[in-house]
Amino acid sequence: MLRTNHFGIRTGLIKLLLGGMILFPGLELASVGLAENNRVPVQQNTKPVVDFTQQIQPLLAKHCYSCHGPDVQEGGLRLDQSELAFKQLESEATAVVPQHPEKSEIIRRLISKDESEQMPPEGDRLKQEQIDLIKNWIKQGAEWKKHWAFLPLQQKTPPIPKQTQWVKNPIDAFILAKLESKGLSPAPRANRGALIRRAYFNLTGLPPTPEEVDHFINDRSPDAYEKLVDRLLASPRYGERWARHWLDLVRYADTNSFERDGIKPNAWRFRDYVISSFNQDKPYSQFIKEQLAGDELDQVTNETIIATGYYRLGLWDDEPADPLLSYYNELDDILSTTSQVFLGLTLNCARCHEHKIDPIPHEDYYRFLAFFHGMNSYGIRSDQLSYNQTDITSPEVSAMHARIDAQKNNAKKKMHQMEQMAIKKMSGVDQRRSETRQRDKLLKEKLKQYLEPDQYKVYQALQHEMHQQEAQRKKAPPRKMALSVRRSLKEPRETFVLLRGNPNVRGEKVQPGFPEIFGKTEALIPATRKEQQTSGRRRVLAEWIADGDNLLTSRVIVNRIWQHHFGRGIVQSPNNFGQLGVPPTHPELLDWLALEFVKSGQKFKSFHKLIMMSNTYQMSAKFSDQAAAIDPANDLFWRFHMRRLSAEEVRDSLLAVNGRLNLKMYGPGIYPQISKEVLQGQSRPGEGWLNSSEEERARRSIYVFVKRSLITPLLFNFDFADTDSSCAVRFVTTQPAQALGMINGSFVNLQAEYLADRIIEEVDKKHALFVERAIRLAYGRKPLKGEVDTGVRFIEKLIKKHSLKEKQALNYFCLTILNRNEFVYLD
Amino acid sequence: MALEQPSNPQVNQGNQSAGHAQFCRRTRREFLWEAGGGFASVALTGMMSADGFLNSQVVAADGSSKFQNPLAPKDPHFKPKAKSVIFLFMYGGPSHVDTFDYKPKLYGLDGKTITVKTKGRGGEKNEGRVVGPKWKFKQYGESGQWISDLFPNLATCADDIAFIKSMTADSPIHGSAMLMMNSGRILSGFPSLGSWLNYGLGTENENLPGYVVMLDPTGGPISGAKNWSSGFMPATYQGTTMRSQGAPLIDLRRPEGMSKVVQRELLDELKAANQKHQASRAGNSELAARIASYELAFKMQKHAPEAADIATETKQTQELYGLNNPRTADFGRRCLLARRLVERGVRFIQLYSGGNHNDTNWDAHGDLHKNHSFHAGNTDQPIAALIKDLKARGLFDETMIVWGGEFGRQPTAEYAKGTGRDHNSYGFTMWTAGGGIQGGTSVGATDELGAAAVEKPFHVKRLHATILNQMGMDPNRLAYFYGGLNQKLVGVEHTEPIHEII
Repeated sequence: MLRTNHFGIRTGLIKLLLGGMILFPGLELASVGLAENNRVPVQQNTKPVVDFTQQIQPLLAKHCYSCHGPDVQEGGLRLDQSELAFKQLESEATAVVPQHPEKSEIIRRLISKDESEQMPPEGDRLKQEQIDLIKNWIKQGAEWKKHWAFLPLQQKTPPIPKQTQWVKNPIDAFILAKLESKGLSPAPRANRGALIRRAYFNLTGLPPTPEEVDHFINDRSPDAYEKLVDRLLASPRYGERWARHWLDLVRYADTNSFERDGIKPNAWRFRDYVISSFNQDKPYSQFIKEQLAGDELDQVTNETIIATGYYRLGLWDDEPADPLLSYYNELDDILSTTSQVFLGLTLNCARCHEHKIDPIPHEDYYRFLAFFHGMNSYGIRSDQLSYNQTDITSPEVSAMHARIDAQKNNAKKKMHQMEQMAIKKMSGVDQRRSETRQRDKLLKEKLKQYLEPDQYKVYQALQHEMHQQEAQRKKAPPRKMALSVRRSLKEPRETFVLLRGNPNVRGEKVQPGFPEIFGKTEALIPATRKEQQTSGRRRVLAEWIADGDNLLTSRVIVNRIWQHHFGRGIVQSPNNFGQLGVPPTHPELLDWLALEFVKSGQKFKSFHKLIMMSNTYQMSAKFSDQAAAIDPANDLFWRFHMRRLSAEEVRDSLLAVNGRLNLKMYGPGIYPQISKEVLQGQSRPGEGWLNSSEEERARRSIYVFVKRSLITPLLFNFDFADTDSSCAVRFVTTQPAQALGMINGSFVNLQAEYLADRIIEEVDKKHALFVERAIRLAYGRKPLKGEVDTGVRFIEKLIKKHSLKEKQALNYFCLTILNRNEFVYLD
Repeated sequence: MALEQPSNPQVNQGNQSAGHAQFCRRTRREFLWEAGGGFASVALTGMMSADGFLNSQVVAADGSSKFQNPLAPKDPHFKPKAKSVIFLFMYGGPSHVDTFDYKPKLYGLDGKTITVKTKGRGGEKNEGRVVGPKWKFKQYGESGQWISDLFPNLATCADDIAFIKSMTADSPIHGSAMLMMNSGRILSGFPSLGSWLNYGLGTENENLPGYVVMLDPTGGPISGAKNWSSGFMPATYQGTTMRSQGAPLIDLRRPEGMSKVVQRELLDELKAANQKHQASRAGNSELAARIASYELAFKMQKHAPEAADIATETKQTQELYGLNNPRTADFGRRCLLARRLVERGVRFIQLYSGGNHNDTNWDAHGDLHKNHSFHAGNTDQPIAALIKDLKARGLFDETMIVWGGEFGRQPTAEYAKGTGRDHNSYGFTMWTAGGGIQGGTSVGATDELGAAAVEKPFHVKRLHATILNQMGMDPNRLAYFYGGLNQKLVGVEHTEPIHEII
């Protein structure tokens, strides 16, 4: 334990929080073990300056705030604000006396052996080195900083590091200066082969073809790489890749979950909207406003209506046990998603009381909720469309359909009345049947005998009318509908603080407003104009979030962009910038990026380019024992993180390398084949999973229908995003189910066969040529020395020793090619 | 309010919790950051050493840690009573007053309309026509526990069983009630009980999944895979469906035409190529992890079919489970397989009696007699056999069996005619046996109609707490940080196991 210096603790804490938060929560509180294991040089008797933000506040937040924080102040002590921590308590003791750990009650309580006095009162005590850290911090003057994320953005000039020649742009200056301060140097530049794969997957989610690799490697012009980046940013594949990151955040799915897991009609239009927004390089501010208030903007278009589908993507229980609670659960889902995704705040933690950790009072939650209180529930069981489907059909086609609808509804209503009349006279068993899917069958069998003959004639005539109208409909051009907010109220419901989050226990009434940490809570909602259909509240919220001056919006989004370039954010808890989040490894860089993003019009593409042109991005993944000894987690970016492909990238690559990937864009979701065994898990095996043609099934994974209760197994096994709440960081698990699917699964075997077909067609069956081409197609690179021979020997062994037919042997060789680590891991 | 938004404040305040935000409702004693600290001291020390591999996926830099199955065994909080759980899920909701909750007064009221508050899929009602229990009850064993004629075989195990006759749940609707019984919440997105156990304890046998679900041949329960989902935890912890016939696991069978020897050649070739690739990439231990995962998969191909091979069981054992009778053969096979999995260290096994919809499960809305005779008849002998077989093999004490559905049924009829009963989450019966559970006991009671729990009501989370407790996990400490909170299976309120049956 004594070997731990301040640095060891810090990285330990980061792992602790990172592990707990997003990647592998089992590792939370692993700090000591990790610190012990890290090969950190011994620095005895040195007391480096303790960093409050990085080292002390996370400890206090985790161990103390629950009882001495914003919500509860046991013994009158509140440890989340300095003036309160330094003040004398009811007991006359003082928790923190700067420069005097021996007079500080907090230390006495932390080390006390008396059970009635020791802190924390339950669970594990703090580790000795954690206590020492607090002691040292107090000794050094107990410098207190307000939580970094709640402070205004700071305009810092990029530092000037020693190796100035390495600095391509200010990103490098920030990164390098920090590396140098720890005696580290950046890894060498990645070779072109690695770089082009990195750039391709990063921007498009697809591998480069061997020809594209050759072209790049042979392009000796000084701007070869820049041209590559530009080309990829201009590719429509870019939107398909980056849209998926956004869809993870907004818990995109095509169904509602729960018993029926019913379809959300036209959810795919939202998915397409996101793809196209990225491809258009839509400014983030506009992207925000369209999703949060697309129906309340000056210019409402089909596109902005589709964008409000954002609100309709969440879970919806069509048969809630408690409808009122269910409505507030829906709003909670919207509020959680909105506050975490756009602001990096866990506002959801203030639903039942004050936030336990962050200065977010209970009222903040309800003020924020008031912005959404004009929206109705997604629907009710008997009407699953009116509140979430907006007609975006042209007026002419619309009118045509309206006529048909009116006549059909009229007939249907009359028929239903007659049916119910008859059913009431039926036996209990039949009445029950009438409520099941057997209703139609029942009516066919028995309706006639329970109706008077002339009544039955009328019924038949109505039936005929229905059929006729249906025939008409088939002739008309289809209607276009959008999943969206609809019938949002002009006079929203009154909003009350709900005590303990209970919808039946109202506290004080609140108006829409912003969280207190932003300073001003009051939201000015302009008086509604006559022609306005909704309250305009969401627009006020959207404009406030989208404003370049918002404290958190730009920090949160640039962190996400960084995360998807480098494998992790500068803040490693991208949905939580609060005090239980992970402090930024490079706070100055984060603020610089945020300001830069706003300055350049909140556009993504130029920002990607800025990042990708840095030397930081172009480093290799080369390991260094020396660097790892100082910074085992690579927190300071001394090398590039290797990464495993995402679920979509794995599936898309399998299709891409054999040339069968169908690049058709947009439209309703597609259905990959799912085995009978998996479908058997459904209560009605196969229900809600349609057939797509093989050509359609070869489309990119972003177009795969997302059924909440039936995620496509290959995608699921490779850690597809959780669909039920915002997913900021995907897991990266390694498990045998992946291997089984990749070796035995029919999809991968089929793709291997197609790959062999392709190669035979291109270069014939000559084994050496076959092997070479397979390697080139799958990994972009040329074979290494001896690699072709090894492959040839393997193929021949399969043929000779195991008497396989040649094609079978080639198929199996391709299967190994697709299974190699090199296929799914990027340098 | 423009929408038909619920304006129904007459909700049971006890059940009134704000969905998933209910976690926040905590007192100082329950608060989790401390609790998490306690957890670390025991369970996580195990995890730390075992999960260097996953850790390396986070830090991507340690370069030396070996592959460890993320399901490698971890230490419990305290010495466990049970090593495995077999959850016999009577999907659809069996009627407690016709099975184990003897209500003598109810027989005489048959056909009479009485005042009783009920809530089911048909909504809330204040009166209804009583359907008298359709079966006689007798007392069994030394403990004299009441069991209806539906379960002649199980009745012989009366002294092994502890009945909880005052269960309550938050929802009388299948979708949300299933989620609640499996994950403690009425909303989807939360990890199921088996996932929590695998997260907390790992599995003893890395060649088999740690959490196995065996479905009814008619299909899964409603919401399908959501019922064995790992929610916001990694997919590693989700339940794996296993079949008692054919290839037991998905993708376990080699592709047609690929012999075992050829597959081994493929894997060797793959391994050699991967090792070369890895050699020049020091400091990326996840590459080694992936190599090892292929070897583990290869071993599973051998062990899983072997575990599922009930042909090796004696004829006597097979007949004990009713494999010779078409009515009981399927459930019997699955019960037998469950025992074999327990022997092999599988942590959590869930068997569904009933699948699909309506009368293919216990959801007796129309003809109660027909429905329950069928489902009880299919399962009675196999379940009794499971208890007896586990006892004979000395496994009973370390295997906790849980029996029940997502709710019970109402004492009154649902329709004007017929014997069907609607759902009832105000009070119902579940039972447990083995794994340190006190047999021959009964705790809690419903009112004299069986309409609602009146004596010692036990919410579903109390049952969950009991299961965790028997498995050596403190339900109030087993926590997972997500969405800004330390989440727990039992929610934020301090939840005690049901001590009366332990």
